[in-house]
Amino acid sequence: MKLPSTNLAYVLIGKSILETLLVGSLAVIAFLTVLPPSFHGWGEITDHGVAGWAVNSGSPWERVEVQLFVDGNFFATEVANRSRPDVPSAHWALDEWHGYAFEIKSLTPGPHEARAYALRTSRQATKKSLQLVGTPIPFIVGTDGIFRKPPDAK
Amino acid sequence: MPSEEQMMDVDTKTSLDKLPAGMERSLPLWEIASVVTSCLIAEWAVLVFIGRNKLVMAIPVTLAFALMLYSHRERGETLRDIGLRTDNFLVSCRLLLLPTVLAVLLILTFGWFTSQGHFGAPWRWRFVALPLWALFQQYVLNGFINRRAHMALGAGAKSIALVAIAFSVLHLPSPLLALLTLVAGATWGFVYQRSPNLYALALSHSAVSLTLAMIVSPYWLNGLRVGFKYFG
Repeated sequence: MKLPSTNLAYVLIGKSILETLLVGSLAVIAFLTVLPPSFHGWGEITDHGVAGWAVNSGSPWERVEVQLFVDGNFFATEVANRSRPDVPSAHWALDEWHGYAFEIKSLTPGPHEARAYALRTSRQATKKSLQLVGTPIPFIVGTDGIFRKPPDAK
Repeated sequence: MPSEEQMMDVDTKTSLDKLPAGMERSLPLWEIASVVTSCLIAEWAVLVFIGRNKLVMAIPVTLAFALMLYSHRERGETLRDIGLRTDNFLVSCRLLLLPTVLAVLLILTFGWFTSQGHFGAPWRWRFVALPLWALFQQYVLNGFINRRAHMALGAGAKSIALVAIAFSVLHLPSPLLALLTLVAGATWGFVYQRSPNLYALALSHSAVSLTLAMIVSPYWLNGLRVGFKYFG
């Protein structure tokens, strides 16, 4: 048996680099598959609920399924297919049918927070993931049952 | 008469071709780490990120295999050196007989006490390929890892322990399988250092694996699954 040359060390370095690239690529591909950054949207309070829009720019004709969570608890799910003419005019979508609206009842008066998530199904429906669309929506329910923005909200 | 510049060129070339002192012993450890890492990537990272994609899983396995073949070539190792030979087959079989029979008996006893009346699993045709799979595993474990451990740490307890730990790590997170492979890896590593024959080791490996697969309930071994696959 003979002693190896430095070529073996170079091969080991090359293999390490290739494997690092492989694992890095796998991580990026997995992230993009399960949590693609193509979901966009916005939500705001209405008198008795939350309304907004959600689009998947990777699939512009798709009607995104939106799940609403209030104070961290699941509230309801809805397909965002209501008319929102402002969405295509702002170039977020190709058509106007990307709106959603949730009517929220039975909330105690006081401060609350709603979050709208886009539901994404991937890998032959074996994986489902939620992505926040827009920003968290803080609101206050008055004693009259009307939803209002907190005074410090933008 | 070569000029001073030419002499320096020759010196530089020679020093680049030769391994620096001390690296001759650390390089084999690096080779072991590299092969084990490739296996772990296939068992864990590919399954976590991509799922059961055999094509992607083949990439780290191919890289490891290419490294092993290149390393054999660089070190001038022959098939006979690695243990693919027949002249010492009976000697190896004799060394392996007692531990293999003991392991099979222990597995049978364990299976008998834990089966609660459902002793023995049905025959599966994939068991036919077990000797080939065992030979491949023994080649990696002993034909490559054990030989490199021997180069770095010398014959004996240290190198055998390294072989056993590497084999056990590759069978995580199954606790029973990790424990069994730790003991089996040490035994096979010891026998290989005494009489390197991969065919005899593959025979022992097949006998133990077949008994495990057929006798021990999937509750304990989860179908011999390892890596991320263990979780489902």
